[in-house]
Amino acid sequence: MCRAGRLALLSKVDSSDRIARPMPRIYVSSVIEAPPARVWERLRDFNGLPRWHPRIRDSRIENGEPADRVGCVRDFHLQNGDRLREKLLGLSDYDMFCTYSILESPMPLSDYVATLRLTPVTDGDRTFIEWTAEFDCAPEMAEQLVVGIGQDVFQAGFDALKRQLAS
Amino acid sequence: MPKVVRSTVIDQPVDAVWAVLRDFNGHDQWHPAVADSHIERGLPSDRIGCVRRFHLRDGSELRELLLTLSDADMAFSYCLLETPVPLFNYVAHVRLAPVTDGDRTFWHWESRFDTPAGRERELAEMVGRDIYEGGFAAIRAHLAQGMAA
Repeated sequence: MCRAGRLALLSKVDSSDRIARPMPRIYVSSVIEAPPARVWERLRDFNGLPRWHPRIRDSRIENGEPADRVGCVRDFHLQNGDRLREKLLGLSDYDMFCTYSILESPMPLSDYVATLRLTPVTDGDRTFIEWTAEFDCAPEMAEQLVVGIGQDVFQAGFDALKRQLAS
Repeated sequence: MPKVVRSTVIDQPVDAVWAVLRDFNGHDQWHPAVADSHIERGLPSDRIGCVRRFHLRDGSELRELLLTLSDADMAFSYCLLETPVPLFNYVAHVRLAPVTDGDRTFWHWESRFDTPAGRERELAEMVGRDIYEGGFAAIRAHLAQGMAA
């Protein structure tokens, strides 16, 4: 078989498998009426979720590592007792973003990677905040997970920040 | 190299704002500083590489080249080819994002350029205030008018 033919066959096999289906994606954004530096001071602490997110009960960083060390793992509990472990993949004070993945959770998903990003709104010294995630799951679970995480985790976090930081 | 960044929130759905901004030849319909505009050589205004030639209200003529345009990212960038104002190597980026909390639009507009020494602050202020903030206010009024009509 010629080279081009083999490549075409390979890509056909791939695309008929799981790659054909786009990964579920969550996008939630808001505006916080506080300067970006004040919002970022709270969000950059990878171990700080219990300080601002109402659904998180406690958190610790494994192996006593600093919370801004890329690669560190946070081990935390939700208020309902569920336990999650998440790994810090990227952190930038310059661009004000934080990227992390889920290592363990009770949710029926895999390959979950999320980014929380701040951008200054120069008009009024406010903050544009975006929280995105991509993951894999059984097709019939996708909508429930997208809506559930988007509302209960992301938007609920924004609402808490708005309450806490509104000056 | 001065960098100018301005951003705002428009109380309109992102599709409505993008529908206006994606037309590289449409700025004479909404920007108060622009008197008239046309695309050279009859090219469509969403063709990468097209050049808009336009006049400001004061009569000065400018030419700008469309560098990138993305409906997927709701973003475009362009550079200045000719201008009576001493802005050199001017490249600007416009980007929209949905504010899902309230169905509004985040609008980010930034540029970098060179100027004659000593005029950095003055020209950065002119670009940021007159062009970008002036543009924000004009789009707000333009879209509010459209809603009322």
